[in-house]
Amino acid sequence: MSKRLGARALLVVSALMLVLMSACSGNGEKASGNGSGDKIELTFWNIWTDPSPQNKASLKAVKKFEKEHPNIVIKQQNIPHDQFKVKVKTQAAGQQLPDLVQVWPGAELTPLVNGKLIQPLNSILSHWDGLIKKNQLTDYNVDGKQYALPANVTPTSLVYYNKKMLAKAGYKEFPKAYEDFKTLIKNLKKQNVIPITLGNKAQWVLQSSYISMIGDRMTGSDFLPDVLDGKKKFTDPEFVKAVGVIKELADMKAFNDDFNSIDNIQHRDLFVMGDAAMMIDGAWSLGPVLEAMDDDSNLGIALFPSIDGGKGNPEAVSAVTGTGIALNSKLKGEKLKAAKEFLKSFYSKDYYTDLMKADILVPADIDPPKGVSPALKQVSELTGDHIAPVYDATLPVDVTDVINSGLQEVTLGQMTPEQLAKKLQAAVDKEK
Amino acid sequence: MHLLNRYKWPALIGIAPALVIYLLFAIVPIILSFYYSVMDWDGFTKMKFVGLANFKEALDDPVFWGALKNNLLVVAASVFGQVPLALFFALLINRKLKFGKVFRTLGFMPVVISTVIISLVWGMMYNSRRGLFNQLLEGIGLGDWAQNWLGDPKWAMFSVCVTIIWQFIGLYLIIFLAALQNIPEEIYEAAKIDGASGLKRTLYITLPMMRNTIMVAVILCISGSLRTFDLIYVMTTGGPGHTTEVLAMYMFDQTFSSTRYGYGSTLSLFIFFFSLALVYLSTLILRKRGD
Repeated sequence: MSKRLGARALLVVSALMLVLMSACSGNGEKASGNGSGDKIELTFWNIWTDPSPQNKASLKAVKKFEKEHPNIVIKQQNIPHDQFKVKVKTQAAGQQLPDLVQVWPGAELTPLVNGKLIQPLNSILSHWDGLIKKNQLTDYNVDGKQYALPANVTPTSLVYYNKKMLAKAGYKEFPKAYEDFKTLIKNLKKQNVIPITLGNKAQWVLQSSYISMIGDRMTGSDFLPDVLDGKKKFTDPEFVKAVGVIKELADMKAFNDDFNSIDNIQHRDLFVMGDAAMMIDGAWSLGPVLEAMDDDSNLGIALFPSIDGGKGNPEAVSAVTGTGIALNSKLKGEKLKAAKEFLKSFYSKDYYTDLMKADILVPADIDPPKGVSPALKQVSELTGDHIAPVYDATLPVDVTDVINSGLQEVTLGQMTPEQLAKKLQAAVDKEK
Repeated sequence: MHLLNRYKWPALIGIAPALVIYLLFAIVPIILSFYYSVMDWDGFTKMKFVGLANFKEALDDPVFWGALKNNLLVVAASVFGQVPLALFFALLINRKLKFGKVFRTLGFMPVVISTVIISLVWGMMYNSRRGLFNQLLEGIGLGDWAQNWLGDPKWAMFSVCVTIIWQFIGLYLIIFLAALQNIPEEIYEAAKIDGASGLKRTLYITLPMMRNTIMVAVILCISGSLRTFDLIYVMTTGGPGHTTEVLAMYMFDQTFSSTRYGYGSTLSLFIFFFSLALVYLSTLILRKRGD
């Protein structure tokens, strides 16, 4: 009996081994198939998952390249934004980045450069002379080397307002000064509407759309680089006051009650449905708002008002360039040539024109195509003068984490602006 | 003759694949965590040895202790919420109710639904403006009781715990029902003849007969709630502030979004030791009662 059992066990084991081995060899075959043949395959990760006009334009540019270069295959992986960032960090730790990878400026890019995971593009940079504005290249520039090209410029803090609701509250125009802005909020509250809609569940909204802007009004645009160099401190009174402005807005109940439990898509809904009179949000909301609002002429766009005693330029707007694609540092020979060819074809005049048609601001020096929405033109004028840095694109990730959760705690009254400033400075000091 | 003695090799070969996979994906990472936990590493650049600095930082980190407290709250809510409620409903359904099967299915439903969907739906019900709960309270004239359930630090953890309790009652309900059906009818008949009332029969016959099942449920409950991550991650992402942060989430955030692999490993080691201690403690308590 036991002998038969043993024989059977052996049979099962060998069958298992067979399955395992065939599975392995199957993989091997596939891998070798990729290398052989005349086709060059480039792997490319991006976040172009949802069918927004911007993503469609990007995917179209990839398709165009593949059509023009039949011997090069771009193998894409489209991953949602939040998961993408986690995935890149994990894969980078394992030295397993794809050939082409979408990158964000500042805190996301610098570690990749320091880890020597991506390579500079300076040798082909002259290709874009005259197309991309020189001052827009700086975000993707680390120590004089260019690691990616920007496809879009995204102001992170615009005030969207409902013209009719503001007129009802006695404001034909958007207030220019902060004190006046506060009166507007009080008037709106009397009318039982939400003055400003906010969805800060994911914690970055108060940082990216609020403190980046309000902070700049108070401290000026050199503040963040100075803090990182140790010349200034977060505990300086200007910055503490800027956090105080956010606290003041929360204390006077300028936001919807549940601003810490809804997200930035839900807060946009409140604005579009007319429950809220204003929304402070990035330019990424422009397309969706225009699409969802019944009457586009009712939409007003302005910049955050100037604050008394602030050192910043009241015309400045916090903005960041985006949709850069970096090259893996391991690329060489044929593949490197193909990858560079891809970048040249991708960041083309056609692509920038398509983006503008999709209500996206671009860093390129081109005439706006016909049919561009008046709102985009207005945003483009508003943001033309002076660009201020965005906090999460400038500060290291640890510091960004502190300010993200800290601002939420300040609005809940669990932390004072002074405590947050101290905590931030401690996080900066630890980086050194 | 022992089977294993005569056919040692086939047995070993049989075990080998599973053993290798287990060692590689369960044991090796734990050992590696020890190594990473004494390092300062962002995943991109070179590691730097920092000794016990990460451990010291964790012990001084208020968010870490807050997360631990929340974890223990979840464990308590599960053990003292899920198990008694499930037991109560199991006893009810077992009483040959009309539509008993319907209730059983309904009770088990939440276990089958994906956690992400549960979190999203409950998030909407908790919504302070248009949510089901606040509208209901207003509808019956208790508008004052309406709360900002997930956005108010006072209520957030409570609200999350209620959802967690609701989600897993069904699982224990099924386990308890199975146990109830295994109790022989004769015992009840004998008790009836002796004049035991319904409540007495439940207290002195049903519950003692189910002791072992209840213990298994409690252990499952503890280990399950130490792992909580998905539900809270989707519902509040630890907010507002850090009021609903739990250990696994904090570890994930530190490791993968702040890219502090060293500190994250230290946190995961703490989770490892806390889980071991808690499971050991619970077996100790339950064994003592068993003797």
